Amino acid sequence: MKNPPKKCKITAKKDVIAYRKTCKAQGTGLSHYILMDKKAK
Amino acid sequence: MARGKHRQSSDAATPSRGRYVGTGNGPAFQPIDIGHPEYVAVIEPDTAFWALVRREKLAHAVLGGDLVKSFRKKASLFAKEIDTLRFGLKPSAVYFNPTERCNLNCTYCYIPEDMRRTGQHMSRERLLESLAILKRYFRTTLPKGSLPQIVFHGAEPLLNREAVFAGIERYADDFRFGIQTNATLLDESAIEFLRGRQVSIGISLDAPTASIADRTRSNWEGQGVFQQVIRAMDRLKGYPAWSVICTVSQENLRHLTKLVDFFHEHEVPTCLMNILRCTLPRSRSVKPADAPAAKHFLKALDRTHELYRKTGRKLIVGNFANILLAIIAPAARRLMCDISPCGGGRCFFALAPNGDLFPCSEFIGLPQFCGGNLFRDDLPAVLHSPPFESVTGRKVEDIDPCRGCAIRHFCGSPCPAEAHEMNGRMEKTGAFCEFYEEQVRYAFRLIADEKVNDYLWDDWDQGLRQTFGMS
Repeated sequence: MKNPPKKCKITAKKDVIAYRKTCKAQGTGLSHYILMDKKAK
Repeated sequence: MARGKHRQSSDAATPSRGRYVGTGNGPAFQPIDIGHPEYVAVIEPDTAFWALVRREKLAHAVLGGDLVKSFRKKASLFAKEIDTLRFGLKPSAVYFNPTERCNLNCTYCYIPEDMRRTGQHMSRERLLESLAILKRYFRTTLPKGSLPQIVFHGAEPLLNREAVFAGIERYADDFRFGIQTNATLLDESAIEFLRGRQVSIGISLDAPTASIADRTRSNWEGQGVFQQVIRAMDRLKGYPAWSVICTVSQENLRHLTKLVDFFHEHEVPTCLMNILRCTLPRSRSVKPADAPAAKHFLKALDRTHELYRKTGRKLIVGNFANILLAIIAPAARRLMCDISPCGGGRCFFALAPNGDLFPCSEFIGLPQFCGGNLFRDDLPAVLHSPPFESVTGRKVEDIDPCRGCAIRHFCGSPCPAEAHEMNGRMEKTGAFCEFYEEQVRYAFRLIADEKVNDYLWDDWDQGLRQTFGMS
């Protein structure tokens, strides 16, 4: 198992869950697929 | 009206100060049931803002309290982010069709049959000339150091292999290349060439057995190509930049979970399970209804999670991961179908073998959407031609029921080609609606259960920064 899944945290349920992340939008996304991951150069 | 609302609340021309949720310029929070026992979602659609709130706390959270205050502080920032994503991007990728021909006759292909059967190849010289023109164009539009993307697409690009490989060889330093192929011509030497140049490789397979896969993907004699695809998959094992597209149709819907097992067993790093596009009439013959499509698709997602928990190895379903990203990090999304306007004609465009330019490959069989020709016309002018603007101007605000839908910026109401051809005009939905509703609800359930990381690439948040957090 090269990448063991993290165990689910057992925590008290929160009243509100809200978060948002951002980055500079590249606009490089295509419609079907390809080049989606960053492993190709 | 999406643009500007959250920046105008104190403008004299809009007298509402936005003091109250749900009226005037106040936040337009919409509660939605996500099918979770403890949480409901609250969404402010224009900004794609969301929060999950415990059911019993909904009234308090939506009508006052910290959530509303925190949102108000960030509303302009979120509005600007969505505005940039929707209207501020430039093209940086091209679907490059080096041939009209295909050696297969798949049921749902959006390229007309006569084109695929007897069409033309782009010559080697023309292909190299095309890349030279595109290189010059992108140098004027993209930041220095940012490589545009070329995806050789089809029809079947490897039918014109010599020209395609010549282009990759000559312009290796100028583009990021990818190729989407049916895999029937992906022999050892082709894979060696592509791997050696770090070309991303996408192949197509719809089912885990020949009897099902061959129903929709077969050659002109009606013979399936399942075994050829499996051989290519075996050759690609270990290469990090390959993926498989499954087109979800009535024919394979009930086998998606087994297909997930099959992909995982073959160490596929990323797959797409794209619902079929109904642009051309023939594809509509295998269109599934929304409800069963969603049911089986979500079961397949469940299965990827079970396999991850069991083995520690993920199989990412890229199109769903993109919806998840659209919710938690809108600017980080990588596919541009599920945003409005879609990416067609504004983030990417398609080049046909004769040099004709279309907003997306989906339009290649529809001559009225040709915006000009790469060899004859000025590319920036083509991007602003009426055919292109009919696509780049298609917005959820102009479509019913999208204009009032809370998840309109997570779904984007795809696809314009489908809406136009199947439903009569651009200001219509495409072929599916509930299918996207269910995916978004599923995504919110994952967020509620803290399972997001299990469905995304390991480094999905690398380079991202948090702009909002409440818990």
